[in-house]
Amino acid sequence: MLNNLEKNRLPLIFDMMASRMKKFQSFTGLLLIIIMAIILSPRQHGTGRVLFLTPENISDIFRQVSENGIIAIGMTFIILTSGIDLSVGSVLALAATFCAKLLTQWDPSIGQPVHIFLAIFLPLVVTTSFGTLYGLVISKLKVQPFIVTLAGMIGLRGFARFLTNNANLDIGFGDDVSSVFADLVSPKPVVISTFIVIAVIMSVLLSRTVYGLRVKSIGDNLIGARYAGLPVTKVLLITYALSGFLTGIAGILHAAQNHQGSPNDGISYELDAIAAVVIGGTKMTGGKGSIIGTIIGVFIMGILTNTFRLKGVDINVEMMAKAVIIVIAVWLQMPRQHKSKG
Amino acid sequence: MRDVSFSIERGEVCALIGENGAGKSTVGKIIAGIYRPDHGQLVFEDESLFSYTPLEAQSRGISLILQELDLFPSLSIAMNIVINNIHFKYLEKGLIRPRIINREVKPWLEKVGINLDPSIPVEALSMAQVQLVAIARVLSMNTRLIIMDEPTSSLTDDAVANLFDLIAELKHDGVTIIFVSHKMNEIFRIADSIVVMRDGCFIGKMLARDTDHDEVIEMMVGRLLSGKERQQSWKTNDFILSVDNLSTLRIKDVSFNLYAGEVLGVAGLVGAGRSELGEALFGMDKKIHGHVTLDGTLVDVRSPGGAIRHGFGLIPEDRKIQGLMMQLSVKENMILSRLDQLNKYGFLVNWKIQESVNELVESIKIKTSSIDAIVDTLSGGNQQKVLVSRWLMVDPNVLFLDDPTRGVDVGAKEDIYEIITSLASKGKGIIFVSSELPELLRCSDRILVMSEGNVVKILNTEETTQKEIMFYATRVLQ
Amino acid sequence: MKNGLTIAGVVLLAVLVSVTAFAEGEKDSSDDGYLVIFSQANNAEPYRAAQNDSFKELWGAYPDVTFEITDAQQDNSRQISQIETAIIKQPNLLIVAPNERGPLSEIMGKAKNSGIPVICLERDIVDANNYTTWIMSDNYSIGKLAGEYMVELLIKKNGEPKGKIVDLRGLLGVEGEQKRFNGAWDVFKQYSGITQEAEAVAGWLQSDGRIRMTEILRAHPEIDIVYGHNDPMAVGGYLAAKDLGRENDMLFIGVDGLQGEAGGIKKVIDGVLSATFTYPLCTDKAVEIGNKIMRDSDFVPEKVYEVQSMMVTPENAAELYK
Repeated sequence: MLNNLEKNRLPLIFDMMASRMKKFQSFTGLLLIIIMAIILSPRQHGTGRVLFLTPENISDIFRQVSENGIIAIGMTFIILTSGIDLSVGSVLALAATFCAKLLTQWDPSIGQPVHIFLAIFLPLVVTTSFGTLYGLVISKLKVQPFIVTLAGMIGLRGFARFLTNNANLDIGFGDDVSSVFADLVSPKPVVISTFIVIAVIMSVLLSRTVYGLRVKSIGDNLIGARYAGLPVTKVLLITYALSGFLTGIAGILHAAQNHQGSPNDGISYELDAIAAVVIGGTKMTGGKGSIIGTIIGVFIMGILTNTFRLKGVDINVEMMAKAVIIVIAVWLQMPRQHKSKG
Repeated sequence: MRDVSFSIERGEVCALIGENGAGKSTVGKIIAGIYRPDHGQLVFEDESLFSYTPLEAQSRGISLILQELDLFPSLSIAMNIVINNIHFKYLEKGLIRPRIINREVKPWLEKVGINLDPSIPVEALSMAQVQLVAIARVLSMNTRLIIMDEPTSSLTDDAVANLFDLIAELKHDGVTIIFVSHKMNEIFRIADSIVVMRDGCFIGKMLARDTDHDEVIEMMVGRLLSGKERQQSWKTNDFILSVDNLSTLRIKDVSFNLYAGEVLGVAGLVGAGRSELGEALFGMDKKIHGHVTLDGTLVDVRSPGGAIRHGFGLIPEDRKIQGLMMQLSVKENMILSRLDQLNKYGFLVNWKIQESVNELVESIKIKTSSIDAIVDTLSGGNQQKVLVSRWLMVDPNVLFLDDPTRGVDVGAKEDIYEIITSLASKGKGIIFVSSELPELLRCSDRILVMSEGNVVKILNTEETTQKEIMFYATRVLQ
Repeated sequence: MKNGLTIAGVVLLAVLVSVTAFAEGEKDSSDDGYLVIFSQANNAEPYRAAQNDSFKELWGAYPDVTFEITDAQQDNSRQISQIETAIIKQPNLLIVAPNERGPLSEIMGKAKNSGIPVICLERDIVDANNYTTWIMSDNYSIGKLAGEYMVELLIKKNGEPKGKIVDLRGLLGVEGEQKRFNGAWDVFKQYSGITQEAEAVAGWLQSDGRIRMTEILRAHPEIDIVYGHNDPMAVGGYLAAKDLGRENDMLFIGVDGLQGEAGGIKKVIDGVLSATFTYPLCTDKAVEIGNKIMRDSDFVPEKVYEVQSMMVTPENAAELYK
């Protein structure tokens, strides 16, 4: 009797597992990458532990993926509306250099806490405004997101270099206000928790709110969204502003961690973010995707990088491997051919 | 689909009929080589075929014209005929020479009755003309068997008549035609034989002259349809909407009144401005002049959002392009236009959503595995019901339905009529656009006939006939 | 629609006006003065930005000289077309920091043949006949200098020439990067005790230097010297080590030694770097020789001037810092 029951149940459990796997294929991918990392990882000197699994290394990975993760979350929303933001790398550089400039070349005599607050707040205002501007041009003037943000990518890179006259601005090496800022923002727990908090908030925003549903609807079917009476302009504006804001935060973290505002940083960050988003199962054409998927995508890329570097693999090999991973991950998540309807 | 067997003679017009999901399109696609059968065989002109590509099918003279015509919108008529066409292979060698191509395709365009410049891009043509271009393309390939998948679904009556003349001519030339459809009257006008399918199975083949509508419908649905008589009228004498001299770029000086509880049918040929009327009322088209009074107050609607706030709803014509978010769930699609009521501080209130969605799914009989199922997995009729229920959720006082029964099966059609009647019974004003005149005659209290952006005539349903409607619809106002 | 066009027109006009306003700082070349055009390979690198600033300051001391800079943005064909334009202006002196050796060779020859004295700055070009003089500093000797100093440091630290080196490298395949590497390692090779523990490509950036160093630190518990092939990468390595509390276990050496807050000299003063080796901007020499060429028709410049690198250590850093 029991035997019989087991027999019936087993395929059922497999079926369930299979459908779960299908839903979270990217999660399966993450598991595979982790297994690969454990196998490939060198041993820690002295203790002989698997280096990859040491708490220090795990937290290193979290910290390293934080910037890309925060940017990729904003990118997820944009791609869900079937848009794209190519300018995130430049926006990050702008936020970082502007923040560094405010800290080193501005003496407002308003007290350190206010100074630091403004050095964080004002760059965020600037990046959010540029995001809003994109949203405005895209929704009102109907210029394609690719073109608008391409212009932003070029123009804001120029703006960042213009701000510092091409130089790097170092912060936090002396004992002035900038080092207080760096000590405040750069510690690992601060960076990682910023990332986690943003991830949780944005995940809820996408899956549980009116705004999130509207984002997906617009990306799925823009014409349909207009017919359904959705406030398309408003939603696009908010989405691009949000991406600007999040990228601004990543830029602040970048400046603090590197003790520098460099106008040449962040080049090709948009591609890293887009890669993470698509590995996470979000469709480039919009309408379908999730924050958790993107975060998995961010970690797949991050762990891959970490493993290769612990191992000391040539950077060119690393790039080739990443290319393969991206294609395989996206291919795995493509819907299999359905039974034909007629 | 399983174990389908039938045979067709040369020069025969065979109608393949069945409800949506019966497998008739699949049969067409297998014959055309798009899908491969698991087993069984196909004998064409004494040659036994099993597995072949669409290109091989074309070279043997078998062609399929899809329901969604798959032409390239931005290419010219001529290029659409020539491109990837085995018969015109030589034209694709080397440089593209538009003048020569235009000259070569001219006879084929004349054959289907198109007197247009072949260099016009296809996107500038009407649906009927696009259809003819597709047929011209197929004919140019020396096709001896044409499968047409619901060729009339987006055509007006005169265009259908035109198409049928062409089919008769082709038949005369010895071309065999498989005509996939679910429009009964068309089938009896044109078909020599009828193949009925249901649930992927072959039900029967008979000669058209030996059977009648009721028998075929019975075979299709497995039950007799009832209630062909006129729906009950709930029309009152209270104005709910009056439109006065409304003009946009595409409609001219439209005036009419709508009463509470009334179903106002809108008839007209394609391009008559029926959909455009809805878009004007819904704030999607810029108003040039005119007044709209809703529920006794003068309103100025400038966006769909504004229209919804004023209690006006529109179910668009094309449910895939203008209506549904195909990757989202049934539930999400249904609540989209009602989000203002279903949230608390911007957060979706799940219990409220579940409750109202479940209630609707049950009451209008949407067949879905769950309310979280992706809309794309539903059948056409059920998708249409999801779209309709989006607007039932909004509960507008005036609802404009733009051809809601297009491409849905008989059962779902009945359900939609029922919804319309029940809305009318609650005192709503309904504007019901349809390309099928019997449907209009059955459901509406009055019928507004449009032509070239004008309202030509408003007819009382009880006193009119199809012939009279057609008379006004084809009349061109100066 | 009309409104939209008007707005677009106004915006365009505003952009053009403000751009020209920015550019207005440059004086028109007058007949009695000298026009010097500098074709820079890429403004957007701190080293080259410093070069531009230094040139502006130095030429500013000569009121009769009008100095213009063009930025090729790291693009050969752009630099070629910019030099073509420069030739039409017939300057009294053309200074070119070529983006690459091969592609720029011909156009510089064209400039020289049209009678313009051409100073080739930093990198040379394929055909030495195509410039009047080459003012340069040798990355190989800088690498060698750095290598020798690092050997000294190792002896001081471990009592003998023995130790583990980490290289933080710029973009591979760039000539300067290769030379800085070879210069140092040709020295290290003489001592069997000196080994490379790890190397990573950090693309000249402080941020990449930091990230790459973190993993190296995790995998390699013993490191004596981190040799950054430029200062920002060395500083990035320092930041990573500091994060793990290991910044005192190893020494950080950089190259470039730029002036200013973010420059390497300041980092030596701050105790971040143990030493840096200046990669001379060569601007002093270029202005000196350039002036002689323009003002003294009898002056015949030498074919090559090499500007020597300077070692910046905590002892002399404060003195060198401007």
